[in-house]
Amino acid sequence: MLTVSELSVSYGAVRALANVSLTVPPGEVTAVIGANGAGKSTLMRTLAGLVRPAAGSATLDGQPITGRKAEDIVRMGLALVPEGRSTIPDLTVEENLRLGGLWRNRSDRAASQAEVFDLFPILGQRRHLRADTLSGGERQQLAIGRALMAKPRCLLLDEPSLGLAPLIVTQILELVSGLARNSGLAVLLVEQNAVTALRVATTGIVLNLGEIVQTGPAADIASDEQLRHAYLGY
Amino acid sequence: MTTFIDYLLGGVSSGAIIALMALAIVLIWRSTRVVNFAQVGQAMFTTYVALTVRDATGNWIIALLAAIAAGAVLGLVVHWLVIRPVKRVDTSGAIIATFGVLISLQALAGMLWGGDTRGYAPPVSNDGIQLAGRIWPFSWYDVLVIGVTIALVIGLTLLFTRTNIGLAMRASAFNPEVARLSGVRVSRSLAYGWILAGMVGAIAGVLVAPTSQVSPNSFDILLVFAFTAAVIGGLDSLVGAVTFGIGTGLVISLVSGYSDSSNAPVVALVLLALNLLLKPDGVFGHHHSRAV
Repeated sequence: MLTVSELSVSYGAVRALANVSLTVPPGEVTAVIGANGAGKSTLMRTLAGLVRPAAGSATLDGQPITGRKAEDIVRMGLALVPEGRSTIPDLTVEENLRLGGLWRNRSDRAASQAEVFDLFPILGQRRHLRADTLSGGERQQLAIGRALMAKPRCLLLDEPSLGLAPLIVTQILELVSGLARNSGLAVLLVEQNAVTALRVATTGIVLNLGEIVQTGPAADIASDEQLRHAYLGY
Repeated sequence: MTTFIDYLLGGVSSGAIIALMALAIVLIWRSTRVVNFAQVGQAMFTTYVALTVRDATGNWIIALLAAIAAGAVLGLVVHWLVIRPVKRVDTSGAIIATFGVLISLQALAGMLWGGDTRGYAPPVSNDGIQLAGRIWPFSWYDVLVIGVTIALVIGLTLLFTRTNIGLAMRASAFNPEVARLSGVRVSRSLAYGWILAGMVGAIAGVLVAPTSQVSPNSFDILLVFAFTAAVIGGLDSLVGAVTFGIGTGLVISLVSGYSDSSNAPVVALVLLALNLLLKPDGVFGHHHSRAV
């Protein structure tokens, strides 16, 4: 369980996040939605240790993660798939995956790799190819696979739909939510594409200008017309 | 024709040493995106260490190992004390800082060991091998130099492709953020690059010492050739550094043979300029457009 309380982040004089509190329970997908500039990526990057918060804290299963280095947070069990298909093009599929769990021992890594290939069979078929030969959807699967190689208890997905065909996004997100249900993984999904995100999520959180304006069951948020008009622009 | 072949043969071994120094430059570029102009200064300094150890022990191999160890330490020290703090402010500043390191090391070497040129006897004969009724411009020492170069290139390739440290170093170079998010201690990977380059440079220094002699400035010309080879090879590519290192050695040997050895640096710079005009990413370099 990821617990965030009263988290605030500033870039200079600009406040990107203000007193954000939320929980991401295991076994389900929690979706944070909001327009461009709402602070979604900042939230993800802060939790992963790439940005330092001005105030507030976050804990993973009771252990504090705020203030720690990114490379330590992933080892503690929180993995981020950053925006824009975070694979390394010059490395092969297998090398990208190996990278994701480099500090773990060989047999643990092999077990995780087998799980990733079960989830995304196409990666198994392409294992010896360089990542830059993959399609956009395949690269997103590889990026998620790389994060799963850390055997995280909490997975953060930042805008996985970016630049992908809607059908592919739905497929990938359904695989991820299936994984959450079956393995107890806690997933925090950040999306501009609210419709897709709320379809796979259990809980929805609406973020606007760095503040949470609404939290509730995903289905309720998806059907709240006023909310949609006000913050999601559709 | 025989002269031509002789000139080529004469160039292979000096090319191998240029290749090693170019490799060191590439290793640092790959890890830190800094062109280390101090590389030859570090190599000069560690060769003096080798000279001192060899005077004391009389053993070429122990002296080489001492130089390698000194190279590793010096690489780490330069990275931690100079490059890391400067780079945090400005990357191009870090490149200028490497010039400062070069000059400081040369001054320090002069203070410690004096400015006189010193010889460095090769461990095996540096005289041409006599075969089929004539003396070839190729010695057992050249064989040693080329052998060491090949072994190092194979070793480095295996390190980068087969080991976890190698993968961490490549990932840190290509995309530090993704590497950190994968649990890689990126600053440590960058330091490994400097250590490794320091070691490779130290080997190059000890190998070139018998032909170039040792003085605080005697390796300067090697910088010109190694830099040329590394840039033409694409700065990112180990294969490119080795190929064009040896290529530069051959060209220098031909130019020196058919005209005068003082023309060699000029030719190297002309090649460098042509390369930058015609193929600025280098022959083995990839052009990386930034992915969104």
